[in-house]
Amino acid sequence: MRSRKRIIRTAVICIVFFALSYFALYLPFYKFPPESYGTSLKKIFSVEYIKTLIPLFIITGVSVIGIALVIFIRNKLLNKNGRDISRYSSRGKGKAPRQKPAVFMIVRWVIMVLFSFMMIWGGLLFGLRSTNISLPIFSCPANNVQMTETSCYFLSHPKDLFTELPIKNIIIFFVSTLLFIILLGRVMCGFLCPMGLVQDIMDKIRKKTKTKGITPNEKMYAAFKPIKWFMILLFFGIGFIGGNFCNFCPAITVSPILAGIGVSLYVSGFLMILILIGSFFKRRLFCNICPLGYLVGLFHKISPFRIKKDCTACTECGACYEACPMGIKTIYTEREKADVTEANCIMCGECIKCCPEDNALSLTCAGKKLYTASRKNVMSGYASKKNEVEI
Amino acid sequence: MITSSRDRERKERQDKRFINKETQTSAKYLRRIEELSGAPSGMRPFLDTLRRIYVEMKGIDIPQTEKTIGTYCVMVPQELIYAAGAVPVKLCSGNYTAFFIGDDIAPRDACPLVKAVAGFKHTGLMPVYEKCSMMIVPVTCDCKKKIAGMLGNYCDVMTMHIPTTKGDDDIDEYVSQLYDFCARLEHATGNKITYDSLAEAFHKTGRAQYELSEFIRLKKQMPYLIRGTHAMTIMNAAAYMPAEVWADALRSVNMSLSIRAMKGEKITNKKLPRILLTGSPIVYPNVKIPLLIEEMGGIVAGDETCMGERGMWDPPVITDNSFDGMIRALANRSIRPCPCPTFADNTQRIYRLKQLIKENQIQGVIYHVLRGCLVYDFEYKRIEDELGKLDVPVIRLESDYNEEDVEQLRIRIEAFIELIKLRQPPEKRSEDSREL
Repeated sequence: MRSRKRIIRTAVICIVFFALSYFALYLPFYKFPPESYGTSLKKIFSVEYIKTLIPLFIITGVSVIGIALVIFIRNKLLNKNGRDISRYSSRGKGKAPRQKPAVFMIVRWVIMVLFSFMMIWGGLLFGLRSTNISLPIFSCPANNVQMTETSCYFLSHPKDLFTELPIKNIIIFFVSTLLFIILLGRVMCGFLCPMGLVQDIMDKIRKKTKTKGITPNEKMYAAFKPIKWFMILLFFGIGFIGGNFCNFCPAITVSPILAGIGVSLYVSGFLMILILIGSFFKRRLFCNICPLGYLVGLFHKISPFRIKKDCTACTECGACYEACPMGIKTIYTEREKADVTEANCIMCGECIKCCPEDNALSLTCAGKKLYTASRKNVMSGYASKKNEVEI
Repeated sequence: MITSSRDRERKERQDKRFINKETQTSAKYLRRIEELSGAPSGMRPFLDTLRRIYVEMKGIDIPQTEKTIGTYCVMVPQELIYAAGAVPVKLCSGNYTAFFIGDDIAPRDACPLVKAVAGFKHTGLMPVYEKCSMMIVPVTCDCKKKIAGMLGNYCDVMTMHIPTTKGDDDIDEYVSQLYDFCARLEHATGNKITYDSLAEAFHKTGRAQYELSEFIRLKKQMPYLIRGTHAMTIMNAAAYMPAEVWADALRSVNMSLSIRAMKGEKITNKKLPRILLTGSPIVYPNVKIPLLIEEMGGIVAGDETCMGERGMWDPPVITDNSFDGMIRALANRSIRPCPCPTFADNTQRIYRLKQLIKENQIQGVIYHVLRGCLVYDFEYKRIEDELGKLDVPVIRLESDYNEEDVEQLRIRIEAFIELIKLRQPPEKRSEDSREL
């Protein structure tokens, strides 16, 4: 009975997604006049730029209202159950113990922010114009001044790939996409993807405001799976039956508009609001259903980046699973294999950051350890200051 | 019910006898621990705590205004108790005298630990038990379930359901139990648990855990740095000391140990057989097995018991710094890494043992089973098989809370130690190295 309910729920979501993507053109979120497509340095520093940003303001505003509403309703629901849990959600001035920031995490954030910045404004500010090298990440190519090409457009519009591009560019497209998939794998998701950055920022805000999130659960991740597969179908297939994935894709709302390009938004805008609200409560929500990420993840077996586990050091405390934004459970249940890399792993390093056993987990690149778990790091929040003074 | 003056007199006599006997046995075992060579400096506070509780028969050393909450097993998150402004005490007991009284209350096949608890509560003489505002009993075995009901006649008791598996839903279930626990604690102590007080409590216990991990790291780094009995005494004393006090005391032990390590001093220059103690809990004053091992020329190089490293080794890892996130971290820490045999599938205990064997260069494993402790007894066979593959000898020692089986245990332990000595290559004697 329960499984039938689940199937119906998934089917409804998939049908809604399909309908939304197919009829995206009839559901405009914000329309720009056609002449506003195009940007220049001058535009960025003028009042017109602010005008271009209007849809972004709307999205942020609605998301904030949405988040507040969700929290409000949740507290009401919790109190209704007779147990007064909501009063615990009051945030105090006190700080929960936090470990010292790891170098790896700082590097990750710097790379993520810098890369996204370059992808959006790099072309305009520093004249790094498009090359034909394509990266399989969700940085919208509607931003025609971005630093380098991204593969998502031609992957979702295979027809255009063979009709619009010269043969040389087709080869460059395929070779560069494959090369990045093999060389970097889903490291791109954790380090480069601007969509990932947006979601991580939402998560950071939640942590700053000490708001309760959605707790990870196997059932939730199991529910994501069919939706992810359907997203892949949409991503590759919608072009063949007369739709346009770009009108549905949430990534279009970020990069082009920030670069000053007035791209009309259709369903994307609504979807982006949902994703912003969702990723506020559940870290990297979109990554769990990302079609491009799944495609990259298929090649995880030959990627040089790996998560290694020393199974003898593990105590199965499950902290890594709690921290994992992608809900990879094998990382904590595995007791035999040394390699625990999974197709879903985005190499964000959260599991290693919170692993309290020395050397139990490590991120390696071609055999070289980049980031290793250590108890000292995890416990660094607890070592009293008194200790240091006395020594 | 006491009805006549004669009954009252008899009760008084009984109580007097109980106190005499109890203090005598406790003092005896304390003396034996003290007589053991190689104690690090800084051991005093731990021994004093045990003396205070069992020999002087006083409550734990905290201001009168603070309340204590009694806990059993390792699954009760102490952080929450500190957050409610109270101090937790572990009430699992190893007392022989109380055991004899409990023998009449609990059925014959009940485990001695539960009998001792029942005995203490029945006499109503132990301040540690009497001063508790509330007791938390996680239902980890049948005996604990029934003792919870029995204790309910004397004081406020909360039972906690421990899941038999460690799935996500089980953790969610446990989280909601912890919320109930919060409400009960607030009711019992009159203080509110807030974000701030919980965060503060995390710092308190976190520091204790930090010192403990330093302690274990030192122990691992250099074999023969400290005797296992002393380590177990330290761990046992944690049950009756507030976390900060314990952390401070352990810190000075750590300092003396690191000085010892720097100078290259060891407790002995002989290659004593390194033994891992696992199985049923070993609670002071029932420390006859570690004492016998060390008196017979072995060394307890590691322990995997509830009162030992297991309870405090895994820190709660906060992956989400909301209040709920902290509660989840506690639930996660309490259930997932715990190799308690109450869980249906406890393969992780075997991995844990293998890890301890590797880290501490263990040469033999003593599997301690308290009589009637079924869950531990169940796991012996599998562990014997698994460790047999590693070529590590294991023996099962069954004991009870009395001194009648000491001689028998002594013979078995001696034989086991001789067996290990035969297996290891003969040691070279060097004259110049120092012995403590």
